Amino acid sequence: MCPTILELFSSSAALSNLKLPANLKLRVTFFLALSFALVFPAFASTPPSGTLTPANGSSITWSGGGIAGATTDETTCVDGTDCDLFTVTLTGSPSNYQGLVLAISVAHSVSLNDYDIYVHKGTLSGPVIASATAGAPETSESVVIDPTLSGTGVYTVHIVDSAVAPGDPYSGVARITTPATDSQARGTAPTYANYQSPPGLGDGSGEPSIGANFNSGRIMTQAVFDTLQVSFNTSTSPATPTWLLKNGPNTTITTLDPILFTDSQTGRTVVSQLFGTTSLSAFTDNDGATYTVSQGGGIASGIDHQTIGGGPFRLCTANQLLATPVPCAQLAARGPITQYPHAVYYASQDIGDAEMALSQDGGLTYEAAHPMYTLVDCGGLHGHIKVAKSGIIYVPNKNCGGVQGLIVSMDNGLTFAVQPVTGSTPGTSDPSVGIGAKGRVYFGYIGGDGHPHISVSDDQGRSWRHDLDVGVPFAIHNAAFPEVAAGDNDRASYFFLGTPSAGNATGADTGTPFDGVWHGYIATTYDGGRSWFTVDATPGDPVQLGVICTQGTTCPNGTRNLLDFNDITVDKDGRVFTAYTDGCVTAACIAKGNNAAGTHTRLDNDQATKATIIRQSTGRGLFKSYDSTPLRP
Amino acid sequence: MTRLHCDPDDSLFSRAAHRGNCPAFLSTKGIFVAKKMTRSASLVFLVLSLTASAVGKQPAPEILGLRLGMSYSRAYARLNEIGQFKSEDEGQQVWTLSHDKHYQYVIIGFDRDRTVRYVTVLARPDGQPVNYADVGNLADATRSGAEGNLRYTWKANDKKGHFEYLAIAKGKDPRHLNRYAVKRLGVTTDEDERD
Repeated sequence: MCPTILELFSSSAALSNLKLPANLKLRVTFFLALSFALVFPAFASTPPSGTLTPANGSSITWSGGGIAGATTDETTCVDGTDCDLFTVTLTGSPSNYQGLVLAISVAHSVSLNDYDIYVHKGTLSGPVIASATAGAPETSESVVIDPTLSGTGVYTVHIVDSAVAPGDPYSGVARITTPATDSQARGTAPTYANYQSPPGLGDGSGEPSIGANFNSGRIMTQAVFDTLQVSFNTSTSPATPTWLLKNGPNTTITTLDPILFTDSQTGRTVVSQLFGTTSLSAFTDNDGATYTVSQGGGIASGIDHQTIGGGPFRLCTANQLLATPVPCAQLAARGPITQYPHAVYYASQDIGDAEMALSQDGGLTYEAAHPMYTLVDCGGLHGHIKVAKSGIIYVPNKNCGGVQGLIVSMDNGLTFAVQPVTGSTPGTSDPSVGIGAKGRVYFGYIGGDGHPHISVSDDQGRSWRHDLDVGVPFAIHNAAFPEVAAGDNDRASYFFLGTPSAGNATGADTGTPFDGVWHGYIATTYDGGRSWFTVDATPGDPVQLGVICTQGTTCPNGTRNLLDFNDITVDKDGRVFTAYTDGCVTAACIAKGNNAAGTHTRLDNDQATKATIIRQSTGRGLFKSYDSTPLRP
Repeated sequence: MTRLHCDPDDSLFSRAAHRGNCPAFLSTKGIFVAKKMTRSASLVFLVLSLTASAVGKQPAPEILGLRLGMSYSRAYARLNEIGQFKSEDEGQQVWTLSHDKHYQYVIIGFDRDRTVRYVTVLARPDGQPVNYADVGNLADATRSGAEGNLRYTWKANDKKGHFEYLAIAKGKDPRHLNRYAVKRLGVTTDEDERD
């Protein structure tokens, strides 16, 4: 990875050895960087634009060089320094492009370098309608656009250095061609194994959370009362689990919502039990061996449906600081700061609005919460916080003005924008987002049709594409509890409960009891959401018989044993883990579920709440860099 | 104390105020319109009243005539007087206010007995601003946050209804609130159960 211009100068021995005031050093750095830029000007694409006609074979080429650097995603690049622009204009009308597509690709020589492409409709501020963001090693990226859907006129191709060292210029091609016909997922689908918690542990396990500590390799999970540490002995195959009870000081106190969050990079796990206007919370840096009790939350009145998340702070890059005006917000101290390197966020809702509070000391204390949205914007309850590598915060919501919505903060939770997920319909389960390594948002939701959908955005939710019903391979008519995790930008897994039975599967079950068998399904993409492998991850062992009521505390007894959600995570090798509550655990219940001729209503169900984990056994994980070491069961 | 005439069109005043109990203080965040007094006399009186009465005044357990503990039917009737229904989410309703100079929306939540659990109003962006101090005595409030994200919270006791409640004013501006809420404490709600 090459140093940026500023890093080059600011790290120079001569400069760092100078005994100058900090602000003067900064000025010298800027002066040197400016001089460098004047002597070695940044190269824009050559030519900067071109025009294509609606004829198969119409093409234009361009080249670019002189841009080098590393970015977290498109939002942190500076044009002319570590990203570049090329404009394509399509003549004619969309109907002229029937049977044709616009294919755009860039190629370079050094496989360790990593260029990405984002194609905006119109100017750079327009929606991203296609992107190619695979990681190294490879020497090209390409996208395909259907002008009959996205229109003619101007397209802006944004070539972004994900990690590019100087001296490896790229060449670009845009051409009108005929589309490929195969859109099915290729390769081998992953397989999964189920691990039920041992007797006496995880027996009261509604709405579980799960996290992976990349440093220790352990899994942490929490349901209603138990915080559990799970480790796998991989010297045998299939791997054998060890479950240990690792309750924090507050986990066993009977309170309201339980939440666990593990920052996989730092290894810190925060456990929380909702308690009125805050939560009882503690964190551990050693997978539950010891805990530090924390403030709990930053909100004085948000009493319901808390969620905790975290990740890198949103900070300006060195190149962004050189730009005029500076295109990013600098994080100022908003509370006590420790050496803990990441942000922790606490969100909750009450009295008509939802709020989020930042902790700059790893969840020990929180600032006063900032409003995210009100009921005027979105429904009250929200899904769980996810933080991108670039520090952008995402909170999904199942109904924002008649569609699913994504609440986005680009400034560490100071201000928020509500982005509608266009093309979606509101549902009754909280949606979930997974964020790819370069910022791609995978939004998993249960639509108004009850089906498990997932949609993709490359511009922080401003536009959406590839909305797919991933339940089609199993004829899923009803689904609940969508949970998404992503790894590399092109890879994500989507866990949901589903049943092929039609009818009111998530209601109060007041009439004829709903008859259906629910399984856990995991859909996985390796191509950025264009295609998905959907797998029954609980074959032969139903998760629930009958209704899964998603109407909250108004649900009648016996319909809401699973409570409100499940969870999914990925470990350092890219292996997918999910946590779910198993409502059907006895041999009798399982036999009923496997007997297609019998009934499968809540009267047949165990109404159990048993903590269970799904662990990916084989197949590609969510990190391409581990593909050469196949996963073992 | 001389009784002022409260403008019935000013929906900041509660229905109780309209019935003739209008206090000589902005107990419900209102602004006086003293129609039957001379303008100069009104102003002098208003300033004096505000100054004298602000000390020790707690926020009322109601907003726009929507009182905590009020039955659903009465609250619904009042909401129909002051606005139009916009949306509902899990039993919480959003209403667009028709002619209020200060607030654009009211959000209302009910408890399991279908009585008012909370009322929240959102300031109209281009409306007449409401000061935090119009809500209650700031000296009695707990102040949290910082400029850009201020919050004043009062905890009060309604002797008539025999319940405790919170009044919460929030805003970005150092003087004017963006939203104001009253919320009843100690009632059984859906959120009080495991969710």
